Amino acid sequence: MNLALLSAPYDEDGFRSCSVTGLKLHRSAERPVKLFVITAVVAMVLGGIAALLVALTRWEAVGLLPAADFYKWLSVHAWSLLIFWMVFMEIAILYVGGPMVLGRKLPAPKLAWTGWSLMVGSAGLILYAVWVSSPPNYQPLLTSYAPLESHPLFYLGAILFILGAVVAALPFFTSIWQEKVENPDRSLPLVTFGAFMTSIIALEALLGGLITYVPTFLWRIGALESIDASWYRQMYWTIGHGTQQINLVAMITVWYFMTYVAGGAEVISEKVSRSAFILYVFFINLGAAHHILADPVVSSGWRMWNCSYATYGAVLASLIHAFSIPAGLEVGRRRKGLGDGWFGWLKSAPWSDPGFSATTFSIILFGFMGGITGVLMGQMQLNTLRHNTFAVPGHFHGTVAVGTTLAFMGFAFYGIKLLFRRDWVAKWMAKAQPFFYAGAMGIVVLAMMDIGIIYGVPRRHPSVMDLPGTAFDFSASAPLFGVMGVTAVLAVLAGAAFVIVAVGSLLFGEETRPSEMLPDYSGLETVGTSAHLTSMRGTAALTAFLLFVLGLFYAVDWMWLARLWEFGA
Amino acid sequence: MSSPIRSPDGNWWDNPLASTEKKWLGASIITAVILFGWMFGWMHIGDQNPTGRTYTTSSAQYRKQVAAYKEKATRTEQGLRPAGRDVYIAGLQFGFDGLPVVLEAGREYRVHLGSYDVQHGFSVRDEDDLIQQFNLQMLPGYEWVVPMTFDDPGTYRVVCNEFCGLGHSGMQGKFVVVEGGS
Ligand code: HEM
Ligand SMILES: [Cu+2]
Ligand SMILES: [Cu+2]
Repeated sequence: MNLALLSAPYDEDGFRSCSVTGLKLHRSAERPVKLFVITAVVAMVLGGIAALLVALTRWEAVGLLPAADFYKWLSVHAWSLLIFWMVFMEIAILYVGGPMVLGRKLPAPKLAWTGWSLMVGSAGLILYAVWVSSPPNYQPLLTSYAPLESHPLFYLGAILFILGAVVAALPFFTSIWQEKVENPDRSLPLVTFGAFMTSIIALEALLGGLITYVPTFLWRIGALESIDASWYRQMYWTIGHGTQQINLVAMITVWYFMTYVAGGAEVISEKVSRSAFILYVFFINLGAAHHILADPVVSSGWRMWNCSYATYGAVLASLIHAFSIPAGLEVGRRRKGLGDGWFGWLKSAPWSDPGFSATTFSIILFGFMGGITGVLMGQMQLNTLRHNTFAVPGHFHGTVAVGTTLAFMGFAFYGIKLLFRRDWVAKWMAKAQPFFYAGAMGIVVLAMMDIGIIYGVPRRHPSVMDLPGTAFDFSASAPLFGVMGVTAVLAVLAGAAFVIVAVGSLLFGEETRPSEMLPDYSGLETVGTSAHLTSMRGTAALTAFLLFVLGLFYAVDWMWLARLWEFGA
Repeated sequence: MSSPIRSPDGNWWDNPLASTEKKWLGASIITAVILFGWMFGWMHIGDQNPTGRTYTTSSAQYRKQVAAYKEKATRTEQGLRPAGRDVYIAGLQFGFDGLPVVLEAGREYRVHLGSYDVQHGFSVRDEDDLIQQFNLQMLPGYEWVVPMTFDDPGTYRVVCNEFCGLGHSGMQGKFVVVEGGS
């Protein structure tokens, strides 16, 4: 075992320069980044184990857990992966995108450690509360919908976790502020700008979280008389959806970073990319309305306005990034002479580099699976076809489990080399991992969507093949559950492969000079016309195909809805 | 060349856009307008909308209403036959009060949805054609009146699809839809 975590080639001021990215990294930023990434990976292990148990329960041919245990592990799964794995990674991404990219020290590093301790402690509290819950304390799952009661410590843990995340984000804000004071005329690099927008959305979300959880906690301990279910849903989704926007915007920031480092991409238009980030800040929050489209209390006008508002703002922003990121890759590679024709730039890409392949699969699968289904479900009427069915986990595994998780995995692969300066162990496994995970999880997602939409199978349900008290059941969906079960096991194995490579490399990887290991595009001369005149026809074809698929499913969904019996005023 | 990890030089705001990117922007905006317009339009031309009047209520009050409704309805072997066009359904841990209910095909009913305790889901499907299904939310404290017309006779199964406690998976009921006038 080596002491990767401690070894340090820093100069007297605590800086070193990265030979691949050319960035100046300071010790004070690098250490917390490592700590947050490692913590995230630990959370992923727990969430992955839970994924296996949960999937093997829903695959009722196996039917692993009884109902009570199923809900317990489903809660562990949701919190470990969607919250802990993601948020710890995101704090790391803030420190990379802020101080590191700017070549600054991390201001007030103590706050980073304080935030981390608070987050770890409260994560422990949440998991403990989940573990000891039994009626009248029900499992929170992700949403802890009041007035169903969860363990009081669960709400307390959620509040403390939010505070911890805010504290951990403070050094990032300070570094942006310092940069702006010292260099008022210099624009932030795009990645820093993306990280900054992420953090603003995060603050909105976390504030919403406090507004949600503090009164709910007070209600739970009896200090408040009652709680309104509709109020809870509306407030809850400011953080519930807000955190998904953090995942989204952080992921897009990583996409810009990784396509550049691993693929040689350029930014084709700073104006357009930055405007799209700003659209998110303004428009994304009310998009949370799409979680309450099948609710009685909010009016249809309110629902449609908020969803269309978000459609105009946030979907537009996503469509912009969906073009400008692959186009940046295409233009960057074309101008370096790496491929011609329609798709030569993709063919010649470093597919055996897991940083690149993970990023690319993340982009493609997020767009085609998470993105398209999200747009469909965001239409108020189409939402009634999917609300609370298994298609909903299908949608969000398309966004977070393949999209964001793969992007963060690719990012972590690079972190091992660039930050920890370790070579990957089991290189073949590292190379195969993104293909394996994207393939297996992609099928899991498709199966989930189909089970939900074709058979109307409910989510969060341990036994749909055998409903107590009736002869009716959902056994028609059993074959698809079989597909989901098998591929879910494979996906968990692929997740394990990531952990093995990551942890193995930190412990046993050889010390490396990254310049020898990673693609270095800085040596290639840029040729040809300027960026905006370079052909983007490959991207144009791909994105046109995305719109075509969206249009196709859009049409199918509406025709299908129209076949239903009449309901609604 | 423009890098995402370096500050862009000069007046980047005025850098020209690629014509392909401009076209994509246009296509994106048109897409957004279509999405928006169609959703609004369906409120007027479509027959399937998750809409209806909502009243605030309390569990106790809603219980009373449901009881009064059941009083007037006729009990049959297949389920309750409502006296008029109003049909009351309440979610409770763990069942649906008011189900099973017998309705006539082709007749519009005002289906009242509410809950006696926690949040529940109202997920309805045609037993013989599972793909024909839709899902609404039931909240305690609110009574939601959603008009509904079943076109064809048959059995329509209702399951709860909002986690409502350990017995959640057993929470189900049905609509029995019979030929109109029978
Ligand atoms: C090997 C990978 C994974 C598998 C096989 C898997 C499988 C599942 C299954 C079967 C469910 C239960 C759905 C239900 O009954 O309603 C579920 C729920 C969920 N999963 Fe995953 N999952 C995986 C990875 C992830 C990742 C990476 C994330 C987040 C980053 C995630 C977030 C969630 C969430 C938030 C829920 C919903 C919990 C709730 O209903 O409150 N999963 N997953
Ligand atoms: Cu229920
Ligand atoms: Cu339920």
